[in-house]
Amino acid sequence: MTFVVDDLLVRPFLGLLNVIHSMAIEGMYDTDALRDELKENRLLFELGELTETEYEERRADIENRLEVAEQAREQLSGRIEVRQ
Amino acid sequence: MSDNLYAYGVTPDDGSLAVDATGVDGSEDVSTVSHGPLAAVVSPVDDMDPERTDENVRAHDDVLRAVMVDAERTVVPMQFGMVFKGKRPLKNILRTGRPTFSRSLNDIDGTYELGVKLVAEEGATVDREAVAERVDERLAPVSVGTVENDLFSDRLVVNSSYLVERDEREAFDEAIDDIDEAYDALTLQYTGPWAPYNFVDVAIEAK
Repeated sequence: MTFVVDDLLVRPFLGLLNVIHSMAIEGMYDTDALRDELKENRLLFELGELTETEYEERRADIENRLEVAEQAREQLSGRIEVRQ
Repeated sequence: MSDNLYAYGVTPDDGSLAVDATGVDGSEDVSTVSHGPLAAVVSPVDDMDPERTDENVRAHDDVLRAVMVDAERTVVPMQFGMVFKGKRPLKNILRTGRPTFSRSLNDIDGTYELGVKLVAEEGATVDREAVAERVDERLAPVSVGTVENDLFSDRLVVNSSYLVERDEREAFDEAIDDIDEAYDALTLQYTGPWAPYNFVDVAIEAK
């Protein structure tokens, strides 16, 4: 038996999925937020709230995440619209 | 040894400029390249794309600070990372950009930039607007320009850059002391002098 799906029925769901996907990318790969985190880390170190070791560790962690995020955005940007 | 020149900024060409600061990538050879009434502050580098480490960023600012404070020159800063393949392309920039550089140098003549941040404790409740307003009221009369920078952290209450005349520095320092005393619950971070990055609009595409 052939099951024909009405395109009109499917489309809204596809739309929603796309939105969810975009939002996930926004959240996971939010490069602006990561850049802000880098600046905040630097500020807290300058104010003496973080030791140099803590600062360096956090910085390395944030920079890694930023690198991953930038690569992901680059790879996905052709296929899914990612707001900057 | 390559001919690559790392450029820090542009000043009026008022004869020889002695800069006692270590440059980007550890260079001890900061000098100038002149064309017409302008001089670019430079040092030799091997890499066309020097790494943006904390040390290199600090070196970039240290050189500009030495030009402004020790040599008392006005300087239009370049962004970190501008490298030119020898003197000729740099002189070309000074020639073609002359009206823009001259106008900018005129706008910021005799000034430098000072940074003011007020930081709240984690989770503290602060009337941000009222603080920001009062801080600016105190600092505006002793400065010639202000830019409100991005509040990149929830803990930032104020993040502003002020353009201050060298001669007004003492008055500005006093105002800063007043602000520090007025807000016990906030931490003040007062930085500079910086080259007036936030008060010049010179974009150079280097390639």
